[in-house]
Amino acid sequence: MTFFEKISNAIPRFLLYAIVALVQVALVVVMVVDRARILREGAEVTLQTRPIDPRDFLRGDYVVLNYDISSVAAGELKDRPASGRGTVVYVKLAPKGDGFHQAVSVHGEPVAIAPGEALIQGRVARGTECGATRRAFCDRLQINYGLERYFVPEGEGREIESARNQGKVSIVAAVTSGGRAAIKRLLLDGKPVYYEPTF
Amino acid sequence: MSERAYRQRLEADIERWHADGVISTTVADAIRGSLRPLPEAATVAVVVGIVGGLLIAAAFLAFIAANWMVIARPARFLILLAGIIGAYSIGAWFDRTERTVLADLSVAVGSIVFGAAIALTGQMYHLAADFAAGLLLWAGGALIAAVLTGSRGALAVALAAACVWNGMRVFETDDIHLPFVFFWLVAAGLALAWNAPVARHLVALAAVVWWVHTGLGATQRFFLFDPSFTVAAGASLMLGGGLALAIRAPESRRAFGMTLSHYGAFALAFALAWIVAGIFGAVPRRVPVWITWCGVAGAVLAFVAAAIERRVALALAGISIALALIVVSGVIRPSGANEPWAVYALALASMLCLVISGMLDDVRPRIVAGWVGLGLSIAAITWAVKGSLLHRAAFLAAAGIIAVALAILLGRLLRREAAR
Repeated sequence: MTFFEKISNAIPRFLLYAIVALVQVALVVVMVVDRARILREGAEVTLQTRPIDPRDFLRGDYVVLNYDISSVAAGELKDRPASGRGTVVYVKLAPKGDGFHQAVSVHGEPVAIAPGEALIQGRVARGTECGATRRAFCDRLQINYGLERYFVPEGEGREIESARNQGKVSIVAAVTSGGRAAIKRLLLDGKPVYYEPTF
Repeated sequence: MSERAYRQRLEADIERWHADGVISTTVADAIRGSLRPLPEAATVAVVVGIVGGLLIAAAFLAFIAANWMVIARPARFLILLAGIIGAYSIGAWFDRTERTVLADLSVAVGSIVFGAAIALTGQMYHLAADFAAGLLLWAGGALIAAVLTGSRGALAVALAAACVWNGMRVFETDDIHLPFVFFWLVAAGLALAWNAPVARHLVALAAVVWWVHTGLGATQRFFLFDPSFTVAAGASLMLGGGLALAIRAPESRRAFGMTLSHYGAFALAFALAWIVAGIFGAVPRRVPVWITWCGVAGAVLAFVAAAIERRVALALAGISIALALIVVSGVIRPSGANEPWAVYALALASMLCLVISGMLDDVRPRIVAGWVGLGLSIAAITWAVKGSLLHRAAFLAAAGIIAVALAILLGRLLRREAAR
């Protein structure tokens, strides 16, 4: 009898099945609890969406959202070494006069922020393939923040995408001090149409 | 040969030996009595049950999705969790009643429901941040299920999810993704511990997938034109390493090593034919050193195994690997506009060595892999779009004549050997 079989035989079989079920349930619960923590503790930022290529935006029942902060100037990161697509960056956000937040600067590491500002974490989707080694930041970066999909009730996506393409859609996101973000509200003409409860 | 096929053949032999008077009834019964009971087989009823189980799992998920806004979100979430718990509860019940195939199926369904729960939870709570991370979570949960319950189905789910995770990371980062190796090692440990054919094949297949992904990642990361060298190096390691694992080893390690070597042989045959076809034109020279060493290690391990076992078949496998690596490394290049005759000759010699190696060892997959490599290489040489068709005809004729002469020589040597 192998060591593995000895261990397996020492524990009642039903207990092993119970452990598996509990572990998997716990992993799924952690996903939701983690998001709830972001919503509860995160600072609110309001982001303006942008029209995007109409062939891309609605697959199934979710709307693809693109933001003003999705494409930003690399600033101090330009020409610095990157670790390829998916490189984690931190974007400093500050409120504009119109109530929306805008990207102020991009950083490779978390940086200090002033009151009213927020630091949001993102992954570079495009803009890390410059330089001689094709492994340096370009002058503009396309960044994903994990806020790019919003799942909507069946049939309601078209209305939102149409409004979005007219510049009427914005979101309120919760951003934690570590930079993690989650959508809290979806606004149409500045009025909340979808509100995300914590659970 | 599967255990069931072996038993059928053994039973036929026992009956024949008994009828011929070679063995007595007592000896025949003793042979039958010494065999372990056959594991539970999947009967027609079980197969239909499996299909039913999978359909119910799919219906469950479609129901949740279809009633998306009718059912309150916390209720939907609880239904998903109940689905996971329900699948494992049924699995535990089947396990208790010793219906192992159905228990295995239930755990596999539980693992699929777990993956669906991750996806649907992501949808419900707008968690679109990192899809690949979700796949890793799925793979990890399914692997835990496989480790704790011994479910081959859960291992299949875990490896499939992990392969997609690896592929996505390669695509996202344009680079090689090494963390998969740790996941694979755990799965390989399970395959060894279980000594189960299904697990061995799944793990070997996952290794091939990883090397293909690594080849694609290397093309982006190191500006290579062709992933074939990386795939061939990995295939070499699997072939040579598998053969080395199989020597003087307990049954589980021997079987695992042989399975790895079979998949390595097929991967090597395809990678070699790909290079011979010249689909990407220039053969890459600049690759990470560790990838080159993996290929070299494959050849060295095959030769070491041959030296320990004193078996020509293993040495021929080593020669096959070495010749294939010379071809894919691009160290031999035609001068000017000449066609790569040396490359063609070495590729054919490599696959011929693989066929003979398999024949001497009486290992059918290695023989088939060698034939596949030979067939694909000949096809690639014949239908290459560059150069003169007349010259290629002359080359193939010369190669054929050499092979026939070699066959005549070998035939005479073998007859002389048999006459001694």
